[in-house]
Amino acid sequence: MKGKPFTHLEKLEKSGQASLLPERIKISVGFASCGLAAGAQTVLDAFIKGIKKRKMDVQVQKAGCNGMCHQEPLVDVWIPGKVRLTYGKVTHDEVQAILAAIKLDTIPEGALLQTSLDPSADEPCCENVPDSKSHAFYCKQHRVALRNCGIIDPENIDEYVALGGYEGLATALSEKTSMQVINEVKKAGLRGRGGGGFSTGLKWKTCRKARGKQKYIICNADEGDPGAYMDRSILEGDPHAVIEGMLIAGYAVGASQGVIYVRDEYPLAIQRLEIAIEKARENGIIGDSVLKSDFSFDIRISRGAGAFVCGEETALIQSVEGECGEPQQRPPYPAVQGLYGCPTIINNVETLANVPALVKNGAKLFSAVGTETSKGTKVFSLVGKVNNVGLVEVPMGISLREIIFDIGGGIPGDKAFKAVQTGGPSGGCIPESLIDMPVDYDKLAETGSIMGSGGLIVMDEKTCMVDVALYFLRFLEDESCGKCTPCRVGVRRMREILEDICEGRGTIKDLALLEKLAGTIKDSALCGLGRTAPNPVLSTLKYFKDEYLAHIKDKKCPAGVCRELVKYSIDKKACIGCGACLKACPSAAVSGEKKKAHKINLKKCIKCGACSEICPVGAVLT
Amino acid sequence: MVTLKIDEVQVQVPEGATLLQAAQKIGVWIPTLCHHDSLTPTGGCRLCVVEINRGGVSHVVSSCVYKAEEGLTVLTATEKIRGIRACIIELLLSEAPEAKVIQDLARDLGVKPVKRFAPRNELCIACGRCVRACSELVGMSAIGFANRGYEKLAVSPFYEKAEDCIGCGTCAEICPTGAIKLIDIEEGETAVAHDGTKVQGPARIIQNWKVNLKLKTCKECGETFAPENQLAYFSKEAGLSKDFYDICRHCRT
Repeated sequence: MKGKPFTHLEKLEKSGQASLLPERIKISVGFASCGLAAGAQTVLDAFIKGIKKRKMDVQVQKAGCNGMCHQEPLVDVWIPGKVRLTYGKVTHDEVQAILAAIKLDTIPEGALLQTSLDPSADEPCCENVPDSKSHAFYCKQHRVALRNCGIIDPENIDEYVALGGYEGLATALSEKTSMQVINEVKKAGLRGRGGGGFSTGLKWKTCRKARGKQKYIICNADEGDPGAYMDRSILEGDPHAVIEGMLIAGYAVGASQGVIYVRDEYPLAIQRLEIAIEKARENGIIGDSVLKSDFSFDIRISRGAGAFVCGEETALIQSVEGECGEPQQRPPYPAVQGLYGCPTIINNVETLANVPALVKNGAKLFSAVGTETSKGTKVFSLVGKVNNVGLVEVPMGISLREIIFDIGGGIPGDKAFKAVQTGGPSGGCIPESLIDMPVDYDKLAETGSIMGSGGLIVMDEKTCMVDVALYFLRFLEDESCGKCTPCRVGVRRMREILEDICEGRGTIKDLALLEKLAGTIKDSALCGLGRTAPNPVLSTLKYFKDEYLAHIKDKKCPAGVCRELVKYSIDKKACIGCGACLKACPSAAVSGEKKKAHKINLKKCIKCGACSEICPVGAVLT
Repeated sequence: MVTLKIDEVQVQVPEGATLLQAAQKIGVWIPTLCHHDSLTPTGGCRLCVVEINRGGVSHVVSSCVYKAEEGLTVLTATEKIRGIRACIIELLLSEAPEAKVIQDLARDLGVKPVKRFAPRNELCIACGRCVRACSELVGMSAIGFANRGYEKLAVSPFYEKAEDCIGCGTCAEICPTGAIKLIDIEEGETAVAHDGTKVQGPARIIQNWKVNLKLKTCKECGETFAPENQLAYFSKEAGLSKDFYDICRHCRT
């Protein structure tokens, strides 16, 4: 372990190595929220029961999410000295098959991925199983913030230390001054991963220089964007990475107190953090004398209470202080005057998770990846109409096309790609013509969208872009704090107009009114929520105006989504009379004889679209 | 002292003064709604926004909150600002079309109502002057805000009778739209409270906070002049004798 020898950490390192790479077979089950939702508890219980029944000497433990969420429940089988094999969509029966194979000293079949545990091996262990260099989902990824997720047991601090954890902190405390740490972070070009993209090093420098005996580090774990769960996965899979990041930040700016503001809707993340903080405290990593140095730092958790707006830093501070979360006009900026009026750093979870590796390995290595203005990697939650739904971490500069089609495996059902929404409710939709662009803070902003926190929602031909804009407006209207007129009333009015358009009451004048409202809200709203609220509308108007016009002029929804504008009917010529739609219809609106063209009774039709989905010849029209 | 430029005119203000105060010093009119000189500014209505230039980038900020900076350039009536003001008034008009102060501002700024939206049926525009006044000027914090977003309203705690209200009427006085309904009834008169019960005079009824408080009657002239609760609070705060307010101020002289 580099840095000044911290002997008590060496003990943890040894114990962690033994736990991470035991001499007997180890089975780890993906136990983050996604895994649990898919049935990981059942799988874990089955392993424990099966191992006991067969009297096998096998270690079983939990791990975080490795990013392949579309394959949950995920299981890793660690064969000592040889290989780690990953299995996906594991069922109760498959658990038995895996155990049976292990009992016979053979390698269980059906592995998705192999990772060699033998540094001297030239050849892969299993012939037909790809490793991360050749696996389509992994080969283009570069996992830094997610380095430990899916590998370590997040409740075991020893394993974190065994993989180099707290080495960055040790290096900073023993070899660098606080200004040297700040300069390293600045040189590396780390920008805020929460969406703002502001220079982390510059923020730390401002806080360092600010007057005040008491300073704070706040980790913003409010993660509010719908569909985004990057921070959740890091907190559930590698909470110590965030703790270490906060400690380094505290050392750099001269803060002695840390607060992790976690949204209340993340109970597992809160639980894992509580365990991690306790373990860190037990081992002298948090407290009066961090790693036996002069530096003191304590961390507490502050829970959110159901407000997206509390992800905005000034509203977050209000919430921590016990007030109602309402943004405040800046200046003063929190780095100068924040929590309880003291200089405060607010950094996103992913930003902090990058810090330990950055300090441990140096700025040069960090900035070797990425583009000119966007260094390093970015974690994206790849969701929506995409085959390989999951969490991916890629170098900045990779194209959206590569993420969606190479890593993501393209659009399911061979449907056509339509757009990808980035940046959540503050972002915009990017059409196919632009998806070869490199992922980069500034390039994305040029399209009218933003990087945002990393949500990537893929949309296909069956997505109505007007409906997408309406969805985000409804969300923002619900989450607006209500303090400023442009957001409180303006977003509400925009939503009303979009609703009219989607329900067939829109007029052509509405488009001009939308643009005018969007302009005012963008210019005059008090905080980022309001100022970026018009983005989904503006970007869909920019690239998909024809859909708006179809809704307004023709009173039609081309994608067949907006219920009021959709009239289902069966093409008499195309229908083969198979009766699938008749069986699928929940309201008995379809009638017809075998092998004869079927009909839909519009009076009974509830427009669920089941007939359209199930028709083998595409004879259902909207 | 801090020197800055407002609409090309140089002005000097003490450290800590806001852009609004600087503009007022040189007679530049900036419309306001949620602002009041006696209250902590909040920058919510966004009517007082101005354009400032910081590091070559133009920013739109609430002048009632933004503190004056040395060498700052402020523009109060650019096309962008005028467009924003007009749109904000349009939005407020759509929210509370009956509010006279908004109608007046609309007339002054040449704004016509947009007849496309259903109003909120409330005069309250969530400016927060009543809440801030009750907290900062009166010291009772008897009322607050409920709900988020468009439904945000100034209300009594849990929509029930505001227990800490002393009936001083500062809220009604300071409300810009007249959203707070305060009536005084005399001896012998009756009124109906929010819950349908009859209230006997002399009383002050503030419907919004579900409050009805007995008014004090002067021992000398028999006039009612203030709620008993308010006088009790004042006596306590100022250390006055219990019978100090038995006589109204007219009879005292």
